[in-house]
Amino acid sequence: MNIQTQIRRTAAEEALLEACAVRADGLPGDARVREKRARAVELLKRGLPNRKVEIWHYTDLRRLLSAVPAFDPTAHATPREPLLAGAAVLPVLNGVAGKAPVPAGVTATSLAERLADGSEAALLEPADAHDTVAAVNAALAGDGLALDIAAGAVVEQPIELQNVHAGGQAHTRFAVRAGAGARATIVERQTGEGQALVSSVSHLEVGEGADVAWLIVQEQPAETTHLGQINVRIGKDAKLTLFVMNTGGKLVRQELRLVAEGEGSKFRLRGVNLLSGETHCDVTMVLDHAAPATVSTEIIRNVVTGRAEGAFQGQIRVARDAQKTDAKMACNTLLLSDEGSFSAKPELEIFADDVACGHGATVTEIEGDHLFYLMARGIPEKTARGLLVKAFVAEVIEELEHEPAIEALEARLDAWFAEHG
Amino acid sequence: MPAVQETIEQVRKIDVDQYKYGFETLIESDKAPKGLNEDIIRLISAKKGEPEWMLEWRLNAYRRWLTMDEPTWARVSYPKIDFQDIHYYAAPKSQSGPKSLDEVDPELLRTYEKLGIPLKEQEILAGVRTAGEPSTVDGAGEGDNIYQSGRVAVDAVFDSVSVVTTFKKELAKAGVIFCSISEAIREHPELVRKYLGSVVPPTDNFYATLNSAVFTDGSFVFVPRGVRCPMELSTYFRINEKNTGQFERTLIIAEEGAYVSYLEGCTAPQRDENQLHAAVVELIALDDAEIKYSTVQNWYPGDTEGRGGIYNFVTKRGDCRGRNSKISWTQVETGSAITWKYPSCLLRGDNSRGEFYSIAVSNGHQQIDSGTKMIHLGKNTSSRIISKGISAGKSNNTYRGQVSAHRKATNARNFTQCDSLLIGNECGAHTVPYIEAKNATAKFEHEATTSKISEDQLFYVMQRGIPEEEAIALIVNGFVKDVIQELPMEFAVEAQKLIGISLEGSVG
Amino acid sequence: MLEIKNLHARIAEDGTEILRGVNLTVKAGEVAAIMGPNGSGKSTLSYVLAGREDYEVTEGDILFNGGSILEMDPAERAAAGLFLAFQYPMEIPGVATMEFLKVAINAQRKARGQEELKIPELMKRVREAAQSLEMDMGMLKRPLNVGFSGGEKKRAEILQMKLLEPRLCVLDETDSGLDIDALKVVADGVNALRSPDRAIVVITHYQRLLNYIVPDSVHVLYKGRVAKSGEKDLALELEKNGYAGLVGEAA
Repeated sequence: MNIQTQIRRTAAEEALLEACAVRADGLPGDARVREKRARAVELLKRGLPNRKVEIWHYTDLRRLLSAVPAFDPTAHATPREPLLAGAAVLPVLNGVAGKAPVPAGVTATSLAERLADGSEAALLEPADAHDTVAAVNAALAGDGLALDIAAGAVVEQPIELQNVHAGGQAHTRFAVRAGAGARATIVERQTGEGQALVSSVSHLEVGEGADVAWLIVQEQPAETTHLGQINVRIGKDAKLTLFVMNTGGKLVRQELRLVAEGEGSKFRLRGVNLLSGETHCDVTMVLDHAAPATVSTEIIRNVVTGRAEGAFQGQIRVARDAQKTDAKMACNTLLLSDEGSFSAKPELEIFADDVACGHGATVTEIEGDHLFYLMARGIPEKTARGLLVKAFVAEVIEELEHEPAIEALEARLDAWFAEHG
Repeated sequence: MPAVQETIEQVRKIDVDQYKYGFETLIESDKAPKGLNEDIIRLISAKKGEPEWMLEWRLNAYRRWLTMDEPTWARVSYPKIDFQDIHYYAAPKSQSGPKSLDEVDPELLRTYEKLGIPLKEQEILAGVRTAGEPSTVDGAGEGDNIYQSGRVAVDAVFDSVSVVTTFKKELAKAGVIFCSISEAIREHPELVRKYLGSVVPPTDNFYATLNSAVFTDGSFVFVPRGVRCPMELSTYFRINEKNTGQFERTLIIAEEGAYVSYLEGCTAPQRDENQLHAAVVELIALDDAEIKYSTVQNWYPGDTEGRGGIYNFVTKRGDCRGRNSKISWTQVETGSAITWKYPSCLLRGDNSRGEFYSIAVSNGHQQIDSGTKMIHLGKNTSSRIISKGISAGKSNNTYRGQVSAHRKATNARNFTQCDSLLIGNECGAHTVPYIEAKNATAKFEHEATTSKISEDQLFYVMQRGIPEEEAIALIVNGFVKDVIQELPMEFAVEAQKLIGISLEGSVG
Repeated sequence: MLEIKNLHARIAEDGTEILRGVNLTVKAGEVAAIMGPNGSGKSTLSYVLAGREDYEVTEGDILFNGGSILEMDPAERAAAGLFLAFQYPMEIPGVATMEFLKVAINAQRKARGQEELKIPELMKRVREAAQSLEMDMGMLKRPLNVGFSGGEKKRAEILQMKLLEPRLCVLDETDSGLDIDALKVVADGVNALRSPDRAIVVITHYQRLLNYIVPDSVHVLYKGRVAKSGEKDLALELEKNGYAGLVGEAA
């Protein structure tokens, strides 16, 4: 009784498949890698997801991805100053990894090598039929970086994975493995110039007892589409702080897919989305508490101005065996414009009974009481509003236990407010 | 074994087959052949003596339905329903519009007696007994059911048809129309044509569209301008016939300044096969009107192995069409194998208010995916959602709720509290809120928690000498209290008992 | 300095009338106490003076240094020299107290056409003020009022008052929630601010605070009006006979 209609491909879908066909031969990879790529292309042939696909509910990629620029062989991207002074910068320029010194205890290999010999073929497998970000990247990425952090290594110098484009298309993969007991701070910078389609997929393994801070700083130009994804596995008694800051981009999808797979692991997500202009920014997190006694807290703060659209989907899943899970999620939004919008879908999916899970979500204006208090001290309304909005976001940044990172991110915050606040 | 562990063991052993209302009534019935096509729809319409426009409305819905897909987004799974293997019309044979209870099949009356509905209160119908006076007819034994407290007008729907409506005359005096929807289509076509499908359009969703094509009966309430309905109105639904779908349609209209409180109860006999129930309820509140709609849903949930039970796929929506109007949904969901139900409010009128209070208890193999939608369209609209989910056995219990503020919904306010309690380690509790704001003056607050009954609380209560099962009941009742107190008082007592029975083995 | 003339005010949201014709004059150099039972409108009066939007003035006027302030927003009133020490100072997460002081002081200086204070000078002033109030500088790094105890919050209010150098100080139930030692510190802080060109309005339910901040005049607010005015003895009288006696007299 159903009328099956073959839906016509959009121009962007055609362009994407065209790019896959053109790129296929030039990308490194053995038979296994080629097979994975072929499967990713098959997935893309089924079309881009629309809002009926639950995990794309707030980002109708089929509608929103209006154009896919061609690869630009003449594009010349240049490295940037690192977010944190003194960091070891490992640049990937227009999807091609450069060479740079790394701190002791860390080994860096170009991903092209590991694809060529097939040793990282497994990374190219999308999670499921709707894992479009991974599929796009698997089909089109030919390079990136693999970092191995030795067991027990305490890497004081921050490492910045700097993904810079100069228009066209840029697809990059990062694979980072932190050995048992290792400690490191990694910045994932996403930036560039001009109109582009960027996909960047990262993999992070946090070994037993390791302690990693990973900061994603996305500051793409206003005409760039950014499809980001990080896949994380957190080992026994390991600790991960993931910080995400989105301030740019035209169409941004940032996926955080995490598995707390080791007993006693601790995960902390802090997110700041500063949305302005015409940007559409969607942060989607899926967190599996797969082992007992795992703890997580997630706090996302959003500020929406102009005609920006924002969304946060946060799904916490607690497996039957993951007793004593403690998971708390909060998503707070200040909607400052009547032309902007924000949607939140904090989700709990719980199969274990001995848990303490909760989430809260708010969408509000600035608190009237607070504004009055500041004004009663002589601070003019505009300044007072600015202070409060900044404080709303700064609170999350200040939870990072890394002074230089707090300073650098707050400087970004000030710059954003100077321009859009 | 720690107390909670013991409870888990007991819950595992729960005999859902003890479903208290699982008897079958042996009465002759008049059934349409199985299957669905335009002829069946013509037959239903003819049986009801409907005018041509109604038949056309149904046929249009049917043709639309043929082009639609069953929704799959809810967290429920079940084998594909064969919509051709269902009887779309069944009626007790003797029924042909009873003028009084004497004309009703005595078997039917006995059914309602078993259900605790005192349809035999002929003294009330005859006007012998008035408000508040105790009935002299009904014995003790059933003392605690609400329908004996007097002032509740009942419309009883048996399989596909409304068999009797009580208190009609007294309500008519106040100007209130309370009758079956079939009767309303015949007697008040202008009202039905004006409002039917105006909240849930016939094209709304797969099940609502099916309902629009094949609905057989249901209740109709019209409370005119300025009238406060003098008593609680109630409908009791029961599915009896095998392989019968029940597709009732309820339409409630409160004109300017009117008020009505409406109660809905449901049961079904135990059967191995699943039975389909796809109702549509539409509420319309004009300026300053208020509608309070309470449900105690206790359809047969299936047995311990998950066999049988009702598929409850219901579309309920209220339209706060007027300024300062208010619609309040309260539901206690303990039955059905699958519940797919989102009583919603369209907050169109400025200053209108929507409320949703829910208790959803799942046990055995039950699957619940329920919640609400609060759609803020007018200025200064407010809504409040309190949802309490309790999962036990091997059940899955999902809260799914949407709160949205549209561009022009200045000062929209929502507060949502959504709590889940898990009893045992084989069940699931899920929370899926959708919070969508397009207006900078909106203020939405959502909170959700999931936990188990705390050992500390249980210990404390038991230390005071309260046995475990009672202690759990006490804690669970505390957990759902915010919602129970929204129910009309007599209903609240019944609801609390029902929750107890549904969790039998853990809360006795 | 402050002239309140036949002031009527109601809650904006529901129209409940709270102030029903308040008349009060406070001269420069004067310390005026406003007393009254719960619900008499004391806190409302303080909020209306500071310009809180939740209240609507329906009749009358407030003159500050001769000019009406009704059309001014809270920040403008503060810059003009009006300071309200809140009964319940708001906790403002994320805004460090020190940062807040800097912004507030400089905003007011700017509004008055003064130059901004340089950081070292600002720090010096803050340190001195904190010392006089026996406050720990560490507290000033914490977000404004967040996690402060009741006493700490009141001290922080007085600290701000010292630093902002207002012309008119309105203290709303500053004694509530303070133990006797804290009360003395706070009262000393207030007394140090007494000067011929500054007026202070002390709003309190109890006479206790007035043992430490001795008022020049006492006014009893009752049902939204000043029911009685007198000198400091009136406060003692109230302490002895309660408000009931006074109400009887007033009626």
